[in-house]
Amino acid sequence: MTTTPPQETLSGARPRKRDARRRRKLRLGANISAIVFSVIWIFPVYWMINTAFKPRPEVMTPTPIFFPKHPTLSNFIDAFTQSNFLLNLRNSVIVVAGAVVLSIVLGLLASAALSRFRFRGRRTIMVTILAVQMLPGTALLIPTFLVFNSLNLLGTYIGLILAYVAVVLPFSIWVMRGFFIAIPYEIEEAAMMDGAGNWRILWSILFPLVIPGVIATSIFAFIAAWNDYLVAYTFMKDQTMYTLPVWLASFSNPITGTDFGGQMAGSVLFSLPVVVFFLLIQRKLVAGIAAGAVKG
Amino acid sequence: MSSPIPATSVAGEGVAAADTPGQLHAPRSPQGRKKKDFTPLWLLTPAGLVILAVTIVPIILLIFISFTDYNRRSLFTGEFAVVGLGQYASIFTDVAFWWSLVRTVFFATALVAGSIAIGMAVADLLTRLAPAMRYVVTVVLIFAWAVPNVASSLVWDWLFQPGFGVANWLLTQTHLFGDLTQVNWAQDPVLAYLAIWLLIVWQAVPFIALTLYASQTQVPSEYFEAARLDGASEWGIYWKVAIHFLKPTLLLVTILSVIWDFNVFNQIWLVSQGGPNDATATLGIWTYKTAFVGFHIGEGAAIAVVTTVLLMIFTAYYIRNLVRAGEDL
Amino acid sequence: MHKTRYYLVIGAIGITAALALSACGGSGTGGGSKSTDQTIGTPDGTGKTLTVWAMDSDLSPDTLDAINTEFTKQSGAKVKLEVQPWADITTKVTTALATSTPPDVLDLGNTQIPGYAFNGGLLDLTSYKKELQQGNTWLAGLELPATFEGQLYGVPSFAGNRAVIYNKTVWAAAGVTEAPTTYEALIADLDKIKAANPAKDFSAFYLPGMYWYAGMQWVWDAGGDIATLSNDKWTAGLGSSAAQQGLNDFKTFQNTYSSVASRTLDMDSPEQDKMFASGKTAAILSISSSIDSIQKDNPKLTTADLGTFPFPGKSGKSQPVMLGGSDWGIAAKSQNTELALLWVKIAASPDIQNTYVFAKDGWTPNSVEGIKAAQKTDLPPLTAGFFAAALNSKSTPAAANWAVIEGDLSINQFFSSIASGAKSPADAAEGFDSHIDSVLNGN
Repeated sequence: MTTTPPQETLSGARPRKRDARRRRKLRLGANISAIVFSVIWIFPVYWMINTAFKPRPEVMTPTPIFFPKHPTLSNFIDAFTQSNFLLNLRNSVIVVAGAVVLSIVLGLLASAALSRFRFRGRRTIMVTILAVQMLPGTALLIPTFLVFNSLNLLGTYIGLILAYVAVVLPFSIWVMRGFFIAIPYEIEEAAMMDGAGNWRILWSILFPLVIPGVIATSIFAFIAAWNDYLVAYTFMKDQTMYTLPVWLASFSNPITGTDFGGQMAGSVLFSLPVVVFFLLIQRKLVAGIAAGAVKG
Repeated sequence: MSSPIPATSVAGEGVAAADTPGQLHAPRSPQGRKKKDFTPLWLLTPAGLVILAVTIVPIILLIFISFTDYNRRSLFTGEFAVVGLGQYASIFTDVAFWWSLVRTVFFATALVAGSIAIGMAVADLLTRLAPAMRYVVTVVLIFAWAVPNVASSLVWDWLFQPGFGVANWLLTQTHLFGDLTQVNWAQDPVLAYLAIWLLIVWQAVPFIALTLYASQTQVPSEYFEAARLDGASEWGIYWKVAIHFLKPTLLLVTILSVIWDFNVFNQIWLVSQGGPNDATATLGIWTYKTAFVGFHIGEGAAIAVVTTVLLMIFTAYYIRNLVRAGEDL
Repeated sequence: MHKTRYYLVIGAIGITAALALSACGGSGTGGGSKSTDQTIGTPDGTGKTLTVWAMDSDLSPDTLDAINTEFTKQSGAKVKLEVQPWADITTKVTTALATSTPPDVLDLGNTQIPGYAFNGGLLDLTSYKKELQQGNTWLAGLELPATFEGQLYGVPSFAGNRAVIYNKTVWAAAGVTEAPTTYEALIADLDKIKAANPAKDFSAFYLPGMYWYAGMQWVWDAGGDIATLSNDKWTAGLGSSAAQQGLNDFKTFQNTYSSVASRTLDMDSPEQDKMFASGKTAAILSISSSIDSIQKDNPKLTTADLGTFPFPGKSGKSQPVMLGGSDWGIAAKSQNTELALLWVKIAASPDIQNTYVFAKDGWTPNSVEGIKAAQKTDLPPLTAGFFAAALNSKSTPAAANWAVIEGDLSINQFFSSIASGAKSPADAAEGFDSHIDSVLNGN
């Protein structure tokens, strides 16, 4: 047909080939970037795992050892047998489960109330909820401590759970409300005309549409409860009630010197449940948040 | 009856439909809704009481304490004196406060900019990969995100330790900067910021990248194809096509980042303790030092309140939109 | 109708808040100054449990067991022992002492105890002092920080101090076979070590610039001090000519024998034990538990390779060491004060001190008599150095706010700025002295 150079036509076999070449180049570039990125991004985790398997003399060496010369499981075994690990793990699980469940339940109720019903002071409450999330993390430690002290909640599981719920609730209300207000009232109206009561509406109609918000809440409650050191340390009275972060902190000992291998093994054990949880949940979460973002 | 609702208001639906992203789909009924005022009931239910006790009361207490000289003696003996607004005045006249604010704004900006930029790049990268490679990158991101920051801060402290730190050793091996094995990151203001920045960004990018990626996958590929056929460069495609559809998600993710990064504390404290010589003492660090090292709890409370108000001012525009949203219900 | 309910709710919130603030107040701040001696006796504690908080790795489980067993034997009460990790312990203890059911007995660092004692958190033990002393003279470095306005708030538990730990093998290879006893001898020895090990990252004596415990030894040896109290006012003294002399000597020593990088480092990052274990240095100033830690980090180093000696001072005596250690405090709001007193008395008893605190744990006992008794026994050579050093000891100012100076790291920065040359000793002292003055004399 014409003798114009391939890159100027918009149709025909030539452009497709050029396109294919371009696409292959892009694909190659993408793959290389992906590999480089992955190696860099996973390095700290790799180092953590690497150290966890090293015996103590190999841990701190002037020339880093990238693969243990004498890999050992002793750090992990010691963690299980010589410390409060299992006990603290049990406490962490209890507290996290409680925090997740309670945050979801309370969050749902509160955000439903705030988004569906008009009442005085609603705006103030919304602004307060937003403001609370902007407080510096440690600011509420002492006030909450004092309040819980007078309510005799210190040293109890429920006390610690409530402390975490307090942190997660504002965020959860904010996220879930976003999903609630996106639900057109028509759906409720239709259900009400069919004779459904308020609770029925909440449960079968509204709740399923808010699932991404529920998942977001559960993730943040999980992290808050699993990760926190200071609140667990100050609120709990005895060792049998501490959670895992306190256990992890006990490896830092100014007198005997830090057992880095043990600490890294502990960190690995400590991170595993979160990693597993995230791997399972992440797809639903980010899809939900992305969709929810559109709704403002 | 009510006006027709755009079909895209059903949750989970894609973004590419004809509505403007970010607009709220507010249902309307001409004569206003049936007003059901549940205030008294709701606030007094068990759930309401729990929420009150656990969130509201400590906040009120915090504000009250911010007007007193509450300190350790007060904790032990219950004695304290109300000092009123004088405490706030002394904060605003304290040069250290203003420097702390400057540092906080600067550092938060650097963190947000870095996380978002890298997050956007990674999200775009994810769209171009084959499923297998994409899975690898996703898993890498998940690992970085999921490692609790208690553990990651420990690893970081150790990676950057002078003498035995791997980071120093690796950098020395590149022969680009000379012998760095003894560099003490925590003692140099710039390096301390850099180390902390790396730690926070390392864990912040996954969430941003994955969320943006999820959003980007919603964009129908026809738009990209059309742009490519028009001869647009990859760069141009990204900026003109992808960003347009990513805007709402970007906004959400940015606001979240601003709030979190403004108040970040753990990572800074663990790496540099606000040093050297307060070079990295952001407002969060300063609050902590006041309230938990010097035990000037009242003053610490006041700083916390001021920090919160400042952050609210910075995000005021978004807050106003958010509160307005849903007001028509 | 509405408004009333609204205000009712707000009112309820306000009341709760007020209750919260006052709930931790109340009486129990240990009675006023009782001038009469009181006895502890053997209170009957059957059915009761005493809560004791011990710090991780302070006293060994064996020692604590011994105390508990003796206590239960005498009183019939049980002991609930909680071992606490170190991170954020001040926050933990402070909040615990604010509750109405605090732990009864607490293991408190001697630099931390003023903050609790002087603010009303601990029980006044003055009237029991004679009985608690059990005929011994407590180490000043442990007793003074627990004494406020003449009243006693803590009972010394044990002391740890610093001596030089050196690698005998490396020293012998450089031609030094005897531990130095004078400053000049030490300098000469270190010169030899330095010459024999020219690697850039090797320190003949690893002395991190932020290691203020070490830096203070020079100041004390020259006759200076951090701050002195007179007429209820603290005056910082690092600008005095004696202190300045000491600081200049510190700087010279640090710059000559420790690596350039170490000028701005602290002894825990990287941990100096690990520097020693990996061969980057042949001498450090540290506490007795470092010996064990070093051997764990490098099993090739045996006790034959290690030696200790007190750091000789320019003054001719050994440099005064910073006496670290713990005191036992009793919470002011404790519900079991009589039992607590008995427990504390047993922990401080010569029996426990000699048989467990020293013999088993290797710590320095809490009294002069205890040290002398220990020295009569066959001291393992490694421990001998620490004990010799303990005889000349000093402590930090016994001020309620001293912990702030340690907590805000200003003292670390002070020494490292001198070591690195960022500030001259005179300039650094000017800034730091005014900081000390305002903190120690502040509220």
